[in-house]
Amino acid sequence: MSVGLEREPSQAVEPASGQSDSGGAGRAAERPTWPHRHLLDTDVLTGGDVELVMATADAMKQVLARPIPTVPALRGRNVTLLFYEASTRTRVSFEVAGKNLSANVVNIATAASSVTKGESLVDTVRTLEALGAQLLVIRHGVSGAPYLAARHFGGHIVNAGDGWHAHPTQALLDLYTIRERLGQSLAGRKVVVLGDVLHSRVARSNVWTLTAAGADLWLCGPATLLRGFEAWARVGAAGRRFTVTSDVNAALRDADVVMALRVQRERMASALVPSLREYAARFGLTAERLELARPEAFVMHPGPMNEGVEIAPAVAEGPRSVITTQVANGVAVRMAVLQLLAGRVA
Amino acid sequence: MSAVAATSVGQPVADLELSRAWLVDPAGGREGPGEIIVTNGVLEAVNWLEGDEAAGVDERGVVVAPAFTDLHAHFREPGNEAAETIATGTAAAAHGGFGTVCLMPNTDPPVDGREGMARLDSVVAGLSSPVRVLAYGAVTARSAGEELAPLGELADAGVVGYSDDGSPVRSAAVLRSALLYGGMLGLPVVDHPEDLGLTSGAEAHEGLVATVLGLRGWPAAAEAAAVGRDLAVLADVLADEPRARLHLTHVSTAPALDLIRSAKAARLPVTCDIAPHHLALSDEWLAGSRRWAWEAVDSVGRARDPWTDGSLVAAPFDSSLRVNPPLRSPEDAAACLAALLDGTADAVATDHAPHTSVDKDVEFGLAANGISGIETALGLLIAGVDAGRLPLLRAIEAMTLGASRVLGDRIGPGSGLVEGEQATLVVFDRADSWEVSPTNLLSLGKNSPLLGLELPGRVLLTIVDGQFAYRDRSLDA
Ligand SMILES: [Zn+2]
Repeated sequence: MSVGLEREPSQAVEPASGQSDSGGAGRAAERPTWPHRHLLDTDVLTGGDVELVMATADAMKQVLARPIPTVPALRGRNVTLLFYEASTRTRVSFEVAGKNLSANVVNIATAASSVTKGESLVDTVRTLEALGAQLLVIRHGVSGAPYLAARHFGGHIVNAGDGWHAHPTQALLDLYTIRERLGQSLAGRKVVVLGDVLHSRVARSNVWTLTAAGADLWLCGPATLLRGFEAWARVGAAGRRFTVTSDVNAALRDADVVMALRVQRERMASALVPSLREYAARFGLTAERLELARPEAFVMHPGPMNEGVEIAPAVAEGPRSVITTQVANGVAVRMAVLQLLAGRVA
Repeated sequence: MSAVAATSVGQPVADLELSRAWLVDPAGGREGPGEIIVTNGVLEAVNWLEGDEAAGVDERGVVVAPAFTDLHAHFREPGNEAAETIATGTAAAAHGGFGTVCLMPNTDPPVDGREGMARLDSVVAGLSSPVRVLAYGAVTARSAGEELAPLGELADAGVVGYSDDGSPVRSAAVLRSALLYGGMLGLPVVDHPEDLGLTSGAEAHEGLVATVLGLRGWPAAAEAAAVGRDLAVLADVLADEPRARLHLTHVSTAPALDLIRSAKAARLPVTCDIAPHHLALSDEWLAGSRRWAWEAVDSVGRARDPWTDGSLVAAPFDSSLRVNPPLRSPEDAAACLAALLDGTADAVATDHAPHTSVDKDVEFGLAANGISGIETALGLLIAGVDAGRLPLLRAIEAMTLGASRVLGDRIGPGSGLVEGEQATLVVFDRADSWEVSPTNLLSLGKNSPLLGLELPGRVLLTIVDGQFAYRDRSLDA
């Protein structure tokens, strides 16, 4: 059929990954340029794109090590943070990243209730553009909302988390943190994502980046919170291979990395989990369970944590935890993303 | 390009001669080269051509058929005239080749008594369009799902059946009463089969696309569970009321169609329809695919992976694709097509659901359900015909004779090409296409996922009861 619709350059479909263009390790020395207008998810990033984020984040980390950790990359630029969901961690991380790049950062906290009252996202986005927003960082409870915003905004959109769908900067900072410890290639490294996979935008964005990086990815949780992922693993959309299991011991055995995901109280009201106590007993990441992993394995969590539910306090605060490193790396990675989208070439 | 020449709507067809066209007569079970003559609104002659006369006329050019009947449309008057009025809805219907529409009663207020029918009758009496406007009455008072609406009073006022569409008939007990009482009155109950317990908050068909996009799953089981309930209740009441009749609308999944196929084999008096978008589109479109459903399955009928084969060409999360029931998997779409071919599905009905941009141009999960589809139904079916998936005769039968089988003679004459009757015809050109665009859609509802695409099968004329309902501007030249 004849199709009149074209993807914007930012959403251009990359060639099927696998053999050809992804798998960042060992890429040629030629320095690629950043081709995307927005960062909406990690699914469209090539291996080259990811390498560029990682290399830029390295540079930003050096900036952060300076006594005055600022560069003028976004001087005079306006970064607007539009958060429809409460989030301290991600919002502050973007705010610090923007300020370190000398941007003017505008914070707009929108009560979740105004979303359901029908206050139009499209109008809000147009208004913010008229008020000078050039980079718009959006957190929204409805999957796909940043894609709607991108259709109506002249500048750059960064998805800071949409519904269950995607959280690309989290996946990139997770990858950055893993590579700091395991090196550039994750080939053969077992990475376990443990918890409420069904409702997790972090899990989905990590599926794209970790499988592209060659990791042996395992998704683990109760069957009710894995629904649909078994089929995804079987089809292997875009050639992505990963393993889905409810067997927590099989998942953790010989793991190199364990990433625990938050389990929310609402899951009991919707009859997906009997109780948090039962969840903690069967799927909680405890010190005993972690013994199954490799001795040098480390533990991650995107936050905020329910200590004592999906992760035991002793693990969260123990020597294997890199959770605070993730937070610190988050600033460097978000600086890198903002710089790549809108920064002036140094 | 394809706006109505407003002056011609409602004018009698004084004199029209179409020679060397492809005639399709579903009631007669016949198609072939021929010519028709309409004089003073009457279909005076239907001449089938043979031998040398027929040379060069094939089914790929201009087609003449009985005007279509839509078993399922939502016009929004009263209550939401910004989304559609009876006047704009009938204009859109005629542009789509439809001469008869059956309106669902879920307006605001709903058509749940004779007052609602009187209100509708007075609007229809003032229309210039000759499109026949028929109506369902609500099954329950205020469509609230509890007490029966005055079904007898509604029957006296001329409804063609009963439906709480928008929602299922909520309780099996109410459905049982409605089937018995409606059967007594000789009218069917039209159910929207959905187990609401399985679809709370659902956004997209539960499957690969919903999983990858992080959309709340809408399981196929919700439809099969409701169809199973409805069929069990129907079987149960037949001993007491053999005239009880059940029609299941916009059936969209393979398991539900299997249940209906078995029920028909067991001679239960059940009929069903399928919406054009469930035949031609699939849930892939939510991820950005724009290929037809039959192109989205491999040679053994399994859904292809649009992420690997480069078929994601549009941005994901287009809210014009949000509809109830949702766009299903390519396998389900294939099952819908198979059901249409083997007669499990009696008819194609549009479920035309126009919405304003205020309700639709919002986040996917907050958008109103529904597709403005009465003008694109023919094009979607012709796409299937062009692809060799659907015989032209069956496609047209499903929008003419099929609808008559569901509602019987209540929808009036016109499923065949019968000399001496008032002309009720559609004339369309399969070789010509048109662009689906906000200006070309006559419906106030511009919520079509096909905007920007070219559809085959341009309607040239729709004639109802001897009067013009639609006349393509190209004919004025
Ligand atoms: Zn319905």
